[in-house]
Amino acid sequence: MVLELRNAKKTFGEGNTLVEAMKETNFVVERGELVAVIGPSGSGKSTFLTVAGGLQTPSEGEVIINGKELSQLNEKQRSKIRLQEIGFILQASNLVPFLTVDEQLELLNKVKKDNMSKDEQRKLYEDLGITKLHKNYPSDLSGGERQRVAIAKALFSKPAILLADEPTASLDSDRAFEVMELLRNETKSNQTATIVVTHDVRLIKYVDKVYKMTDGVLRLESSAEADVTE
Amino acid sequence: MFLAWSEIKKNKLRFLLITSILLLVSFLVFFLSGLANGLASMNREAIDTWKVDAVLLTEESDKSLYESALNKEVADELDAKETAVVSQMGAIANNGDTKQNVMLFGIDRDEFIKPEVSEGDPTFYVQNGVVASDVLKDEGFKIGDTLELSSSDTELTIVGFTEKARFNASPILYMKLNDMQKIKFGDAYTMNKDIVNAIVIKDKEWDALSLPDNTEIIETETFIENLPGYTEQNLTLTYMIYFLFVISAAIVAIFLYVLTVQKISMFGLMKAQGISSAYLARSVIAQTFILALIGVVLAFGLTLLAGSFLPNAVPIMFDIPTMIIYGLILIVVAILGAVISVWTIIRIDPLEAIGG
Ligand SMILES: Nc1ncnc2c1ncn2[C@@H]1O[C@H](COP(=O)(O)OP(=O)(O)O)[C@@H](O)[C@H]1O
Ligand SMILES: [Mg+2]
Repeated sequence: MVLELRNAKKTFGEGNTLVEAMKETNFVVERGELVAVIGPSGSGKSTFLTVAGGLQTPSEGEVIINGKELSQLNEKQRSKIRLQEIGFILQASNLVPFLTVDEQLELLNKVKKDNMSKDEQRKLYEDLGITKLHKNYPSDLSGGERQRVAIAKALFSKPAILLADEPTASLDSDRAFEVMELLRNETKSNQTATIVVTHDVRLIKYVDKVYKMTDGVLRLESSAEADVTE
Repeated sequence: MFLAWSEIKKNKLRFLLITSILLLVSFLVFFLSGLANGLASMNREAIDTWKVDAVLLTEESDKSLYESALNKEVADELDAKETAVVSQMGAIANNGDTKQNVMLFGIDRDEFIKPEVSEGDPTFYVQNGVVASDVLKDEGFKIGDTLELSSSDTELTIVGFTEKARFNASPILYMKLNDMQKIKFGDAYTMNKDIVNAIVIKDKEWDALSLPDNTEIIETETFIENLPGYTEQNLTLTYMIYFLFVISAAIVAIFLYVLTVQKISMFGLMKAQGISSAYLARSVIAQTFILALIGVVLAFGLTLLAGSFLPNAVPIMFDIPTMIIYGLILIVVAILGAVISVWTIIRIDPLEAIGG
């Protein structure tokens, strides 16, 4: 297993203002697995995702990425783990406004080794249907195109883990389905462990497992076997 | 560098603006340094040419050449390696067409401050002949001109010109000490013929010389600093230059800070991705360096170009090493201006950029 949360809990504030954003959580995801976390707004989905991605440390418990326990590391080391192991896809404005599509990926080559080769990159562009856009700036792209470029950027560094927080929120349904389709394909072909946070229940047909977050409590809703029969 | 340069390429206008402001400030710095240098030169170029280590004056003159009067025999009492006497007198010289404020310097033919004649009679030591500062050529003075003096009936003749011969902003007329003394003291000549203003000294160990009564020996630089107006003028210009350094730091700081604040969420996103603060900070520094370098280099060229179009009357003299040092300071100062932005970047919490 590539990512594991062990009794991880996240609280904010104290006393009267204490918020238990994420109650004690145990969670595991494997490579090649696509997982959805659904739940209403404010239920703790983003908290879960950012704790899992090493952007914040849990108040209690452990987060283990590729065998490394994150609370043992300092911010600099966590930053390195994020760079090496994790790809983030966010709701919007994922891209650097003054870099072309090619340059967005090129930037990663400047800060990290072992990214996709030129050939793999070309294949990725084709898969995502952005081959023709490679010289464009984000401002020249539609919302869907931007999201596809963001996916390309996240996958380019060959992450073990792909974390997406509401990646389809700014898209219409057709585009949203397309993006989920892509995420599914890439998860399978690149063997990443992918977690998609969404509040759109229609998207769960693309995933292997569905977790539901309610008031900070994460629960397994269904797994692939159940979905297939639907 | 990649990030820095890509952004400059994409947002050309934005960066053109900051570069042109840096260019203008640098231009002003270079120009003022040229002016400071030129004005200083007007005051000191003659003394610099003499290459003297120290100047002997009377104690009560308070370091002023004009107020000092000592007997030239004093030079013999000094155990210095080389000495030269200087008798000075201000005057207005008139060649018939032009009147000009000048300074008469009476000197001894055998002593080292005798000027090198760039044009005219190299021996020059003739009755009432003068070797004049070549800046007088621009005012219309020529070899052979007869000069009337405001304060005397004696007429002088220009027998030659010499370069770099201004003292305290006036062109010098070098002449034979004795002729000069006659003009200076008139009827009282016989009594005063040995009274000169100063004795200049070439001797690295001037500090150890035993001094005649009532005299004072001062280092050449101190002597120059005490010329009327010299220090005031210099300090004014130097402070203007220092203020410009501060101003350019402030301009860069403000401009970059505004740009950085606009990009906080973008930086946050990159940090979330795992791109280190150090990389982002280096990129901002690189950007500042590129802009400052372009601005300073262009200003450098522009200053030299503008300088070549100025009339000779403008006392501007560019000292390339000084300009290079000021240019480097401007670049360093601009980079210091980027520090606030770097600090801002380091403090950005990647979570905030994401937590939408
Ligand atoms: N940095 C924080 N400080 C205080 N409270 C927070 C912070 N982040 C999240 N919360 C709280 O935790 C709860 C869960 O938030 P979040 O994880 O963003 O939910 P979701 O992504 O499901 O909408 C909310 O009540 C939110 O106000
Ligand atoms: Mg959220």
